[in-house]
Order: sequence, then structure tokens, then C-alpha cells
Amino acid sequence: MNAMELLSWSRGPGLGIATAVFLFGMLLRLFEIYSLGRKPDLAPARPNSPGSGWRTIISRSVPEAPVFRRSAVTLTSGYLFHIGFFIVLLFTVPHITLFESVIGIGWPALPTPVVDLVAVVAIIAMLVSLLHRLLDPVKRFLSGFGDYVAWSVTFLPLLTGYMAHHHLLPDYTLMLAIHILSVELLLVLFPFTKLTHMLTLFIARWYNGEWFGHKGVAS
Amino acid sequence: MSGLGDIGIAVQEPGGDANARAVLREIETLLERLLASGEGGSIDLGGLPLSGADYELLEATLGHGEVSAVIDSLGPTDVIETAIPGVWWLTHCNAAEEVMAEFIEVGWCPQIVLAAQEDVSDGLQRLRAALKEDGNAG
Amino acid sequence: MRDETMLELLRRQGVSRRGFLKFCAATASMLALPPSMAAAVAEAMATARRPTVIWLSFQECTGCTESLTRSHSPTLESLLFDTISLDYHETLQAAAGTAAEAAREAAMQNAWGNYLVLVDGSIPLKDGGVYATVAGKSNLQTLREVAEGAAAIVSIGTCASYGGLPYAKPNPTGAVPVSEIITDKPIINVPGCPPIPVVMTAVLAHYLTFGTLPELDGLGRPKAFYGESIHERCYRRPFYDRGLFAKSFDDEGARNGWCLFELGCKGPTTHNACATTKWNQGTSFPIQSGHGCLGCSEPDFWDAGGFYNTLSTPITPVTGAATAALAAGAATGLAVTLANRRRKANARRAHPEVTIDDLEK
Repeated sequence: MNAMELLSWSRGPGLGIATAVFLFGMLLRLFEIYSLGRKPDLAPARPNSPGSGWRTIISRSVPEAPVFRRSAVTLTSGYLFHIGFFIVLLFTVPHITLFESVIGIGWPALPTPVVDLVAVVAIIAMLVSLLHRLLDPVKRFLSGFGDYVAWSVTFLPLLTGYMAHHHLLPDYTLMLAIHILSVELLLVLFPFTKLTHMLTLFIARWYNGEWFGHKGVAS
Repeated sequence: MSGLGDIGIAVQEPGGDANARAVLREIETLLERLLASGEGGSIDLGGLPLSGADYELLEATLGHGEVSAVIDSLGPTDVIETAIPGVWWLTHCNAAEEVMAEFIEVGWCPQIVLAAQEDVSDGLQRLRAALKEDGNAG
Repeated sequence: MRDETMLELLRRQGVSRRGFLKFCAATASMLALPPSMAAAVAEAMATARRPTVIWLSFQECTGCTESLTRSHSPTLESLLFDTISLDYHETLQAAAGTAAEAAREAAMQNAWGNYLVLVDGSIPLKDGGVYATVAGKSNLQTLREVAEGAAAIVSIGTCASYGGLPYAKPNPTGAVPVSEIITDKPIINVPGCPPIPVVMTAVLAHYLTFGTLPELDGLGRPKAFYGESIHERCYRRPFYDRGLFAKSFDDEGARNGWCLFELGCKGPTTHNACATTKWNQGTSFPIQSGHGCLGCSEPDFWDAGGFYNTLSTPITPVTGAATAALAAGAATGLAVTLANRRRKANARRAHPEVTIDDLEK
């Protein structure tokens, strides 16, 4: 199979399979979370509670100073990577045309040099976070196979995308095929790793906020 | 109904004149080599993506010197010495006067101008034949 | 006469050494060789014998022949075709019918093992190859027979090189490229729809001059002309790098000559010499005229997702797969939910009731 055939496969059946597995898996996860529900809290809700689910989603996005000081590297590299990743995913022209062809709407892009810089920052942030995971004794102790898999399948699209855009490997066709395949790998493994936090994070925060709010606490 | 002439078109000249500058630098190097070792060189202008601006810069910098020659073989070939002695501009055209190849040669004299061994011996044969006829007639 | 070298031929036509040098210089230029190699070309021309060339046209549109002959044929190319012995070309030759076929057979016998075969068009295989025949004989059979004594085969155009248009889905005639039928002879692919004329001539000139195949890439194409992609040499590259794209034909961006990526340009994945050598004696090429590259020198370019869809879009829409996946996910989710609920209810029912009397025992 030559590079062109690989590219055509990744843009054809490969994408279909990856999208199908991703959507199927994520929907199944949502059902698993919601279907059994939680035990009802029979105590009456405290009146005038300062806490609520929606408030917590936002409040936990901004860590308090002591929390930040204790996990500065993790939080900084984490935020830089996440924000960078989404800027690169959503605001570069080839990606926007892809979304436009799938969901029917597009949006303005950011200038290519800007996105390029953001991609570099995101890649560096990811490398820092991996290094920290390996060097910090607590994090190393806590890390398992799934953590490293999740890091790898997220890093590969960023790296290969940057390489493809800058024509860093001799054969662009092959590089583009590798980039698209790495995204498909990410999509396929997504529902089966901790990457599901993309959805469950907000569900979990909302639930916690509601639970505490019921008890009259802002969290 | 508007005609073809009403279609607005903008004719673009792609690129600047950076390639011409590179060629001029190469000519400089070849001239230095010629003076040092007696060996020149050749640059194939057809092998480079040269724009109109590139040609303008080359022509303006090199100019036209003392020598102009036309070689009539398989169509005309124009040989001119540029204003920089030792730098020759060769334009090979076919019988229909379309440009087939263009070279800048750096040397004491372009190879193609010199008479060739076999042509000279053929010419000698023809001259001898003509003299013999003359001898017979006169 | 057949055994003359190129130099002998030119001298016989009264061309001087100067003319021969001019011919060699122009040939070296056409072969994208440095001028210092003109001497090597001269040496080769002085010793190379006039080879026999047979041109076979199969399932094609004749665009490749048109491209080659409609080029304004500077003396170099016509000289080339004078010096090669083009012994068989259905469209160009004066002879026809059985006489022409006989001439071809004779030429093959005379030069067995040494002749060059040029093929344009794909070869249909379905139903015994009946979809392309000449005088009742299938092209498949003709190719096999003629290739047997060939020194090398040049597949001209994307149809002969990779299958081209007939090969596109659903490929009703079972078309295949030459390389899928002949596997024991050296094959040069010169793809393009059509190929740039000077590229075709240069490949022939290389073989005729040096008697060897030029350096080929992984897809069998001469690296001298197919080594780089259009994108790597495109003059609109600064706009791509700055992120300035034309959004539709004839909009502001298009009028300013911005990058045509969003209009479906396949330049990044297409290898050809269009951006440097250009078409019509260096006049222009599609992108310079405002239209994106079709990718015509690559395999499967007809099935690469549409000429006006960008490289980043899917070739087949994913909405079908997505809807099916969501439906399947919902169904499985419901099934899992019901199963879990039942298990929970059973567990609750099976849980033994404990009363205060049990505890006081």
C-alpha cells in the first residue's frame, strides 16, 4: 500500500470507523453514568445556599493560591496544553474546513503563524507534564499504563500535525496520512481511557457542586 | 452581452528577483575561478525559475559588451559578450526562432564559437576540391 | 541506416559540430542536467545507436499523444522523433490495418530485446479483456506479446502508470496499470493527466542518450521531474504560510492570488514539475491561472474526495457511520441500563431483612 492509498483510507473508511467507535463509546459511557442514578438525599436542602452545580464547574477551573502553589507545574503545564490543544484543533483552517464538511458550519480561523506558536507551546507543555510525571516520586508512583497511553495518543496528533504543516518528513503524503491516522487512534481509544474526562469532568463537577450546595456549602 | 475583453483579469508576475541575485553571485564565483585556474563554467538559465524581474536585473547588471555573433546551425544561436568581459550570454533558438535553451557561459570564448576539428578537416577537403576545379578551369 | 549513431545522423544531414554541440547542450538542459554534463551527453550521442520505439495506445483518451504533439515541437523534440525510429503509433502513423501490424512485428523481430515500448492508456481485464481490442485481439494480449522483447517500458500518463480514469470507482472494465501486468521488465512511470510534454520527451531523451533508466522514486517516476511536490515549489506558498486563503473563486482573496487550499488544491500531496517547468513552454500552470491542483500525477486522484474538497475533508461522508454509532450506542446503553436496574432490584430483593429481634439474639 503506497502513501496515497494510506491517505485515502484514512480519509475514507478509517475516519468512519474511528468516528463510529468514538460516538458509540462516549454515548455508552454517558448511559453508564446516568442510568443508575444516585441515592436521593432525603435531608431538606439548606435555604439560601451559596453553592450550586454550575458555580462549581467554574470555581474549580480556577485553583486557589495554596492549591496552585502545591501543584504549580501540573496546573500550569496542564492549562497551557489544554488551551493550546483546543486552539490548534478549532482555529486552524484545514480543521475548520473538516468540521464544516461534517457538521455544516464553519467559523473564522486564527492567523496561521499564531496557531503555529500555540502548537509549539502546547507540545512543550505536554513534554513538561510527562517529564514531571516521570520525575516526581508521587506522580510516578500513581501512574499506570493507562496514563502513559493517554498521554501518547494525545501527543501524537499534535506532533504529527506540526510536522505535517512544516513538511518535516520528506514525504508529505505519508506525513499527512500518519497525522490523520494518529487522530483516528485517539478517537478509537478515547472512550476506554481516562480521556473520557472531556465530558465526565463537567458532569462530576456539577454533581459535586449540587451535592454540597444541597448541604449549604459553596465548593 | 459583454465580450471576452470585458472580463477583468489581473496579470500577475509571480516572485521577485532573488533568483537573479543568486545567478549573479555564481557568475562572480566562476569569474574568480577563471582568473585563478583558467577554467570557467556554464549556467543553464532554463533550469531555474526566473521571473520577468529576474531577467530584467540580469540584463541590467550584465549589459552588452563588444562582441555579438550569430551561429546559424539548427536555427540561430545568439552569442553576445556582456559588458563584463568573459561573461557570455548564449540564446539557442530553433529554425522557428523559438528559444530552446539559454546559457550564461564564463570563459575566454564560448566553446560553440570555436571551429571544430572535424568541421575544419571537412572544410579543407571542400577547399581542396574547389582549388582543383579552379586549377582545371584556369 | 538503422545502426547510425545520433552524431552520424546529424552529420549526414549536414549539421556541423557546432549544431551537434547545440543539440547536446539543449538536450542536457531538457534533461535537467547541469551544463557540465553536456560533454557526457555529447559522448553518449556519438556512440548511441538509433533505437526502435513502439507506441501502444490502450484504454485512453489520446490526451497524452495530443500533449506531446501539440507542444510546439522545437527542433529538439522533432529531431528526437526523427532520430528515434517510431515504428508503430496507431494515431500518428500513416499505415493502417494489417500492414501496420506487420510493420510492427518486423520492427520487433529486428530489434528483439532492445526496443523501447511506450504505453498510454490502462488495460481492461474484465471478461477476458474484451473492453479494449484491436482487430479482435485484446490489449492485454498485445501488451504481453510486445513487452516480451522490450528492453524497457515507459507508461505514459496516469492511466498507464496507475490506472487513471478507467480505474476510478467502480472500475467497470477492470482496468489496471501496465505495472500490474508486466512484472519482469524495467518500467518508467510518467504520470500526469496529461504529463507535461517536455517531461515525456526528457524521459525518452534520457533513455535514448544514456541507455539507462533515470533515477526513479518509490512510485516509479523520474525523480528529476517528480521529486518535489507542487506545494514545495508553488509561488503562492508565502500566502499559505501566512494563512491567507481564497474562499471562493473570484473573491477578493482569489483576485489577490492567495493560496487555493480551501478551494481543494491538492498541491501538497502531488508530485510533478508543474510549478517549475509549467505548461505551454513555461507559460503558466493551473494554480497560476487561479484553479487548485487536481493531483493528476498521483494514483487514485479521481477518488481522492472531489477536486473542490480540501485535503482535510473526508472522502466519504461520516454522517452515516456517526448516526449508526449513536443509534447503536443508545440501544446498547438502554440494554445495559435495563440489565443493571434489574440486577440492582434483584440484589435489593435478595438482601435479607434484618429486624431488631435478629440483632438482640
